[in-house]
Amino acid sequence: MLRKLIKHEFRATARIMLPMYLVLLITAVGSNLAGREMLDSRFDALNVLGVLVVMAFGFAVFGALVMSFVLMIQRFYKNLLQDEGYLMFTLPVSVHQHIWAKVIVSAVWFIATVLAVIGASLIVAYQGGFLREFLDFLRFFLEGFRKLKISEALNGTAVLAELAILMFLCLVAFSLQFYAALAAGHSQASHKMIWSVVCFFGFQFVLQFGGSMLMIGLNKLNLFDSLFFHWDPKPIVAIHVALLMSIGFTVLYGAIFYAVTVFCLKKHLNLE
Amino acid sequence: MQWQFSNDAPIYTQLIHQVKVGIVTGAFPPGERLPSVRDMATEAGVNPNTMQRALAELERDGLVYSQRTAGRFVTEDNTMINTAKRSLAERHVKTFLEAMLRLGFHRDEIIDLIQQELGEEETDHASA
Amino acid sequence: MPVLECKGLTKRFGRTTALDEAAITVEPGRIVGLLGPNGSGKTTLIKLANGLLTPDGGYIAVCGAAPGKESHSLVSYLPERTAIPVWMSAKQLMDFYGDFYQDFRRDTAEEMLARLNIRPGQTVKQMSKGTREKVQLIMVMSRAAKLYLLDEPIGGVDPATRDYILSTIIGNYNPEAAVVISTHLIADVEKVLDEVVFINQGRVVLQSTVDDIREEKGMSVDALFREVFKC
Repeated sequence: MLRKLIKHEFRATARIMLPMYLVLLITAVGSNLAGREMLDSRFDALNVLGVLVVMAFGFAVFGALVMSFVLMIQRFYKNLLQDEGYLMFTLPVSVHQHIWAKVIVSAVWFIATVLAVIGASLIVAYQGGFLREFLDFLRFFLEGFRKLKISEALNGTAVLAELAILMFLCLVAFSLQFYAALAAGHSQASHKMIWSVVCFFGFQFVLQFGGSMLMIGLNKLNLFDSLFFHWDPKPIVAIHVALLMSIGFTVLYGAIFYAVTVFCLKKHLNLE
Repeated sequence: MQWQFSNDAPIYTQLIHQVKVGIVTGAFPPGERLPSVRDMATEAGVNPNTMQRALAELERDGLVYSQRTAGRFVTEDNTMINTAKRSLAERHVKTFLEAMLRLGFHRDEIIDLIQQELGEEETDHASA
Repeated sequence: MPVLECKGLTKRFGRTTALDEAAITVEPGRIVGLLGPNGSGKTTLIKLANGLLTPDGGYIAVCGAAPGKESHSLVSYLPERTAIPVWMSAKQLMDFYGDFYQDFRRDTAEEMLARLNIRPGQTVKQMSKGTREKVQLIMVMSRAAKLYLLDEPIGGVDPATRDYILSTIIGNYNPEAAVVISTHLIADVEKVLDEVVFINQGRVVLQSTVDDIREEKGMSVDALFREVFKC
């Protein structure tokens, strides 16, 4: 059932994101042309047109990034907490599956949007010989990475994998904080949206307070001293430790909001 | 078939009555297959269970009979249909008489009135 | 086994008690009217049966199990509001129902949509309010469910649509399945019902068959309702 939920979630979101990417592509190609011909043209009209096209590209980039964020919130709110919730919460599907479908699909769109923006930027920058230069740069980067791997005994794949996982988890946890706030706010009998905003900042406050207390606590245990002063790991080990610790904290942070979301949707759902 | 319901009697007795009228007037001819319970219920706008109950009652009276798979049929027995017709007529006469008596008419007056009305109808027919 | 059963069912919202120790039994093959004035607890009861609310006390079961993921595949629910996503076309809506409900009869739905002259490509957004409600009802009634929970299906629609909805409900009758219709427009549904449940201020005040009421009281359910709920 999760697969079906995800399929329909993509159906619902693709009709907004794909045209967004198309606009990105068109304005990127336009900007590329503008950079070659229009901006240096002798004709004022072409100059102005060139500037407008480049500005349009800027808006398209901004729009795509904002849209993937807005869509993450709007889908959860509209599809689950408004009238459509009557349909969704009476499907033979668990609350967990609903949340995962939303989280996974919005994370995929976040990543796709970042990739699309990078791709579009490459299109804008493309000119004769660009491809070679870009490949040279990549080769240079990879060469540096390879040297680092040799000199520091770095397991590059592991670090990259950890980074990728961390980024994905951050997106998931980020979404879950919004979902938890919306779900908690909409458990209230009235002023649901105001409550949602209050809950969001409330969570933020609790999280920061709790996090600070945790840090102070750990500090009292002299953990940091032992980590950073008495313990002298190789930098590469430190990178791993830092990444893994970040992953751990992100999972904890996401899990808390996941639990809040599940609890509110299961026990305190109160659709208008 | 026109289905009409009043508010004071159970719906299934009204259904029995109306199907009976349908049979007597030939809307449901003798030996003919009746529509399915669901179709009759949909047409009359009533609950299928209520329609089922009414038809079962008619079946007990013998006005309709069912064949295991083919469905329900109107009886071919004309005497039975005539008996039903007669009892429907008697019921109309009875309610008519009750109303007339309530209005304060006597037997003779009622008969006069009927004869007068029937006579008028005859002249109507003659002139037409 | 009853299709829907509740005992001592209680739901509170803050200080107001929306449902107070309600007890109802709905057997298969019955069409039951859940009748009461606005705010009497009809919607609360239906939402509880759908697992959209969690009871504060008592017991509620659909086909013997507490409302949840499993019961949802047995219950076909028509909410009070139009819940179908407006961006979907009729075809996408059928895809959606077909994907999630194994008992969805696509050919039935297609036939009913065709009879209303609704093109498969037409989106819900392009439909009038009345058509949206009809399409939602078609989706709900195209399922071969064990229990149909219809919350105010005839409230706020024109008389022709009302007739359409009621004849759809009768035409879909199945002796294995039960239908619960909540409404305050009793005169219109009375003939369609086997049984009625009167509910007032969260309490079940009467459960009886329509013909028993007419036989014993010599009045229609509508008239009895007006008497019971006289202001």
